[in-house]
Amino acid sequence: MIGVTLERWAAWSPGREGARAWQDWCARPVPLEEGGVPDARFLPPLLRRRCSPIARMMLTAAFECCDEEQRSHIGMVFASRHGNINESVGLFERLARREPLSPTRFSHTVHNAQAGLFSIAAANRFGSSSISAREETFACGFLEALTFLERDPNRPVLLVVGDAPLSDTFAPLVEEARCAYALALLLSNGPGPRIGFELASGAGDAVSPPWPDAAEFLRWHLSGAARLALGTGVRTWVWQKVEGSDG
Amino acid sequence: MTDASAGCALSAMGMVNALGRGADEIWPRLLAGDQSHFCVREDLVPGRSLLVAEVSGSLPPVPKGLSAYACRNNSLLLAALEQIETEISEARRAFGSGRLGVVIGTSTCGVSDAEAAIREQLETGRLAPAFDYAQLEFGGAASFVAELFGISGPVYTISTACSSGARALVSARSLLALGVCDAVVCGAADSLCGLTTNGFSRLQVISDRITNPCSVNRDGLTLGEGSVAFLATRANGGVQLRGIGESSEAHHMSAPDPKGAGAEWAMRQALLDADLEPEEIAYLNLHGTGTPLNDAMECPAVVRAFGSPPPSSSTKPLVGHTLGAAGGMEAGFCWLMLGNTRGGELLLPPHCYDGQVDAALAEVPLASKGMRARVAPVMTNSFGFGGNNCTLVLAPGAS
Repeated sequence: MIGVTLERWAAWSPGREGARAWQDWCARPVPLEEGGVPDARFLPPLLRRRCSPIARMMLTAAFECCDEEQRSHIGMVFASRHGNINESVGLFERLARREPLSPTRFSHTVHNAQAGLFSIAAANRFGSSSISAREETFACGFLEALTFLERDPNRPVLLVVGDAPLSDTFAPLVEEARCAYALALLLSNGPGPRIGFELASGAGDAVSPPWPDAAEFLRWHLSGAARLALGTGVRTWVWQKVEGSDG
Repeated sequence: MTDASAGCALSAMGMVNALGRGADEIWPRLLAGDQSHFCVREDLVPGRSLLVAEVSGSLPPVPKGLSAYACRNNSLLLAALEQIETEISEARRAFGSGRLGVVIGTSTCGVSDAEAAIREQLETGRLAPAFDYAQLEFGGAASFVAELFGISGPVYTISTACSSGARALVSARSLLALGVCDAVVCGAADSLCGLTTNGFSRLQVISDRITNPCSVNRDGLTLGEGSVAFLATRANGGVQLRGIGESSEAHHMSAPDPKGAGAEWAMRQALLDADLEPEEIAYLNLHGTGTPLNDAMECPAVVRAFGSPPPSSSTKPLVGHTLGAAGGMEAGFCWLMLGNTRGGELLLPPHCYDGQVDAALAEVPLASKGMRARVAPVMTNSFGFGGNNCTLVLAPGAS
């Protein structure tokens, strides 16, 4: 198992803001809502206007998860299954009608737009990655964050996971819980309770919850359960609270 | 778990780009500075004849059972993967499918196929029947590779614009060092599509001629397409991925910081990570897009990082800017250099341009045709949209 310390977390979903709301949700989970976007008032107006809904969600969780000093000194991993595909659909339609694209819109639909916007807003010049892994985007994002700690063990890394519901064009093609959410985890090798993470082959005891894996992870983190197994059949991703590892 | 002492060997490499398919075709044309493979496309940007570095001819079809993944981007990927199929299969047998991982970099995935599907939807009211979301979602690229080879370790796609391909190799090395995988199929693919050609055209960064990096007359990039695939293992021989440097610009979404601080830092970090002094680098593959901004930022950053820089070239005047594949592709060129030495020397890919160097950038020595260098580590730069910088050092391993 690879050990890591979860220093802090923050999450956002329509109607659920702040730690208290998420602690309540974890105690009595229900499917997450799909409509709504955070106001993201902490962003300068120019940047905020350019943020897609998913960018606003992910940056909201990211900013809540670390203070100003930390914000500019951490590695950054952004994980999203769909990224800015809803925004790209509009561009595809313009292309089909042979209409010119807005260069600004184009540059904000790249998958790493969230990472770019965060690094600008946080004045963070450290490395960042943006990944996508179908149904396993949360687990692979977690793993990608661990690769940052492998290269730079003393620098905490911020993992931000999130998705918005797919627009009508592609939604019928994808089976998943439709919801809008973002979760940020500040991970490090610092003191504190350790979490072990590993990949096991086969389906094992993996569960597939009716809400995003990221939300299930948070529910596990705030619960007394020692072990969490997530997966889709081929692989099982396992998280384990490490006994007696307090600070 | 971390095994920092082990190496990261790029033990096999396959590639496809405008110059051809496989090392046997591409390597001699790269050294010859062959620019005969560019073509003009009228169908990409309305009202513009666009010069591009396209992969010509038919590509291998995606196998029947994987038709959900059938798109041009995955066919490009497949054309590179076929070249290292034997090595991948051997690694799977040796380590087991669960100990192999896949990390693919791409900025386009199946966007060109999605564009066609949407065109059909606007005309007929429904998406093209052959279209599947797995072609368009970024994770689909890595998923395709995993299903193709029956790989059941970690499987994900990195999309950080023009540094995606380089970052895929970075993550592969760390997955090996963490002990999560014993071998990683890593690489990148990008395909020409309406989105990128129109987007970059509207950003006014595409030249009407073949890109002309570091020239006083440079006026933009030329888009290309292609793919590259490596098998990365924990061996100490072969070509080693020895150094990694990464940074963010924190400046602007589509323009580099003119001071080039992020680029300089990425190069310095890569040297530090490789435990090398600047003078130990024999060659630098520039990001060298040929846009006025990139070269004006990159060359002074190279001079600051190196003092006295090694012979350098941009290979984009030969294969175009392959965007999400570029960082992996150019690592592939470095791999070819280190694996094809002659008389104990490296053969350097020439910097092809109009010969009229921008005086402001002249301190970076540009490799001319036929230039050689001692066998030593080489470096490649990738700087992406959204301010994502990644520099790699490849080096000869212990023989």
